[in-house]
Amino acid sequence: MSGASNPSQPMDPTGHEDPEKLAEFEQRIADGVLIEAGDWMPDAYRMGMLGMAEHHANSEIIGALPEGEWITRAPSMRRKLALTAKVQDEVGHGQMLYRVSQELGKSRDDMLRDLVTGKTKYHNCFNYPAPTWADIAMIQWLIDGAAIMNQKTLADGAYGPYVRTMNRINMEEAFHFKSGEDMVLTLMSGTPGQKKMTQEAFDRWWPVSLMFFGPADKPNAESRPPMRWRMKVERNDSLRQRFVNRFAPAAQDLGLTVNVVTKDDKGYVTSATPDEALMLDEATGNWSFTQPDWDEFWRVIRGNGPCNQHRLSLRRFSYEQGGWVRRAITSGTVSTPPAA
Amino acid sequence: MQDMLTNPTASLILAHADDKLMLGHVQSDWTGLGPILEEDIASSAMAQDDLSHALTLYEYLGNTYGLDPDVIAFERDPADYMCCDLTTQSDEFDWANSVVKRWLMAAFTQIAIERLSRHDDADLVARCGRILPEQNLQVTHLERWIKRLAQAGPESQARMQAALDRIAPLAGMVLEIPGRLVNDDDGYYCGREEIFKQWTDQLQITLQDAGLAATFTLPDRNVEGGRRGKHADHFHEQLTEMTEVRRIEPGAAW
Repeated sequence: MSGASNPSQPMDPTGHEDPEKLAEFEQRIADGVLIEAGDWMPDAYRMGMLGMAEHHANSEIIGALPEGEWITRAPSMRRKLALTAKVQDEVGHGQMLYRVSQELGKSRDDMLRDLVTGKTKYHNCFNYPAPTWADIAMIQWLIDGAAIMNQKTLADGAYGPYVRTMNRINMEEAFHFKSGEDMVLTLMSGTPGQKKMTQEAFDRWWPVSLMFFGPADKPNAESRPPMRWRMKVERNDSLRQRFVNRFAPAAQDLGLTVNVVTKDDKGYVTSATPDEALMLDEATGNWSFTQPDWDEFWRVIRGNGPCNQHRLSLRRFSYEQGGWVRRAITSGTVSTPPAA
Repeated sequence: MQDMLTNPTASLILAHADDKLMLGHVQSDWTGLGPILEEDIASSAMAQDDLSHALTLYEYLGNTYGLDPDVIAFERDPADYMCCDLTTQSDEFDWANSVVKRWLMAAFTQIAIERLSRHDDADLVARCGRILPEQNLQVTHLERWIKRLAQAGPESQARMQAALDRIAPLAGMVLEIPGRLVNDDDGYYCGREEIFKQWTDQLQITLQDAGLAATFTLPDRNVEGGRRGKHADHFHEQLTEMTEVRRIEPGAAW
């Protein structure tokens, strides 16, 4: 489901690398050659790719939780099957991305342990509540739609194992997006109560979707390692603009209103007014729009979002209750659960 | 609906379909929370198989009785669900309970669906024919897990034995006679002793290999449990959760 928009870009090329090797590495990237796990790479590149793939993997398995909570309530056999398969796909994406990360030098057990102890992060968008069935439709339509946009650019990156994984994931995400679109369309073709539920869910998820791509990059992003080394290939603002261009008119076509909202600390909307800034610039083809609340973004990413504790505690519960199974099949070579 | 509920063959099919619905319902809830990512994915695939098997049987009944399969699945009175007590017993979110319960059910269902596939209705036979290979895969997969966990050291052996001790006493309820079949002396359930023997013989071979022990009992013909609509509280909680969204707007498309 999730892309890997990591707002922090702490990495710098380091002076301790062999200049010839570094130059050769950068030339390969400039020539469009994919870097493979066994190739020489700067330490900063290895650590950066590991951080990116691990963050992405964490996001997949945490991202399975909000939708997973609705499997038991899915309102038809077809939706129940589709949602189970969808959440299973996300777990599969996590598995593939942990494999990529493992090749870069960190064990699966260490990664899962770091996730449940809060040492590593996951995507911010999963720290918001999904209180109705329509929220599940919005996650699949908007968040998976945003993830596809982001991950298509990540598939143009330079690290071979990650690129191939993105290509596989994107094929499945396309199904998720179609499923979400069908759910939203069904709800917006339904009763007044269903339409109201859908608009309210849209109000909750539209600003989260805008934040999905992360805050604006620094002015010199293209010359800094993540973009220079093609770990990411497009600016966050550019992706966000493409998202709005695609989804704002689509929402309007479905009868939804793009609102500017305020939320309480539980993530519920307290006021919603139509976004007066929303309009198409015929000359550029871009839609102008109101930016989301970036103060909220930073509050949530620092651990103070509506569902941070809930999501992490469920993940931790799963990790702890499954510990004996992992020890059993690995002959005790994985660690015991961390202390609470 | 009443025509279906009072027909002996339909009752038998419903019993199996409801078992599958509840098994798939509970196991699908583990998706994203399994102990190992690879097995999380595998067990979710089996949950989807169970839900698909339930659906194909509901579709068969829906075609026969002019009913929407979703209405059959979600809109009966609780007393008209014929899933057995083994399926509706909570696994308490414990992987040992989950594996043991699913293994016992999978081995029984394989035998039951194979017998159902001898029916004279070609459509039903074809549907059973699609279920059986996936069912066989489940039995094989779960047998391996039973053996592997039971033989992986004292901690997991004790957990597996404890799960068996908890679950085995209810296992025979798979052969409780469904409500509408009580007087069906010529039907499927007159062979229940034979099915019970075939099923438990198979279980005991695996248990012996695994170093586990359990006793299974065939319930008296008159015992009343889930297959006759007398469900434990846990089932009612599950059904309430399962129908939560549908009840918001009855009759609406979702």
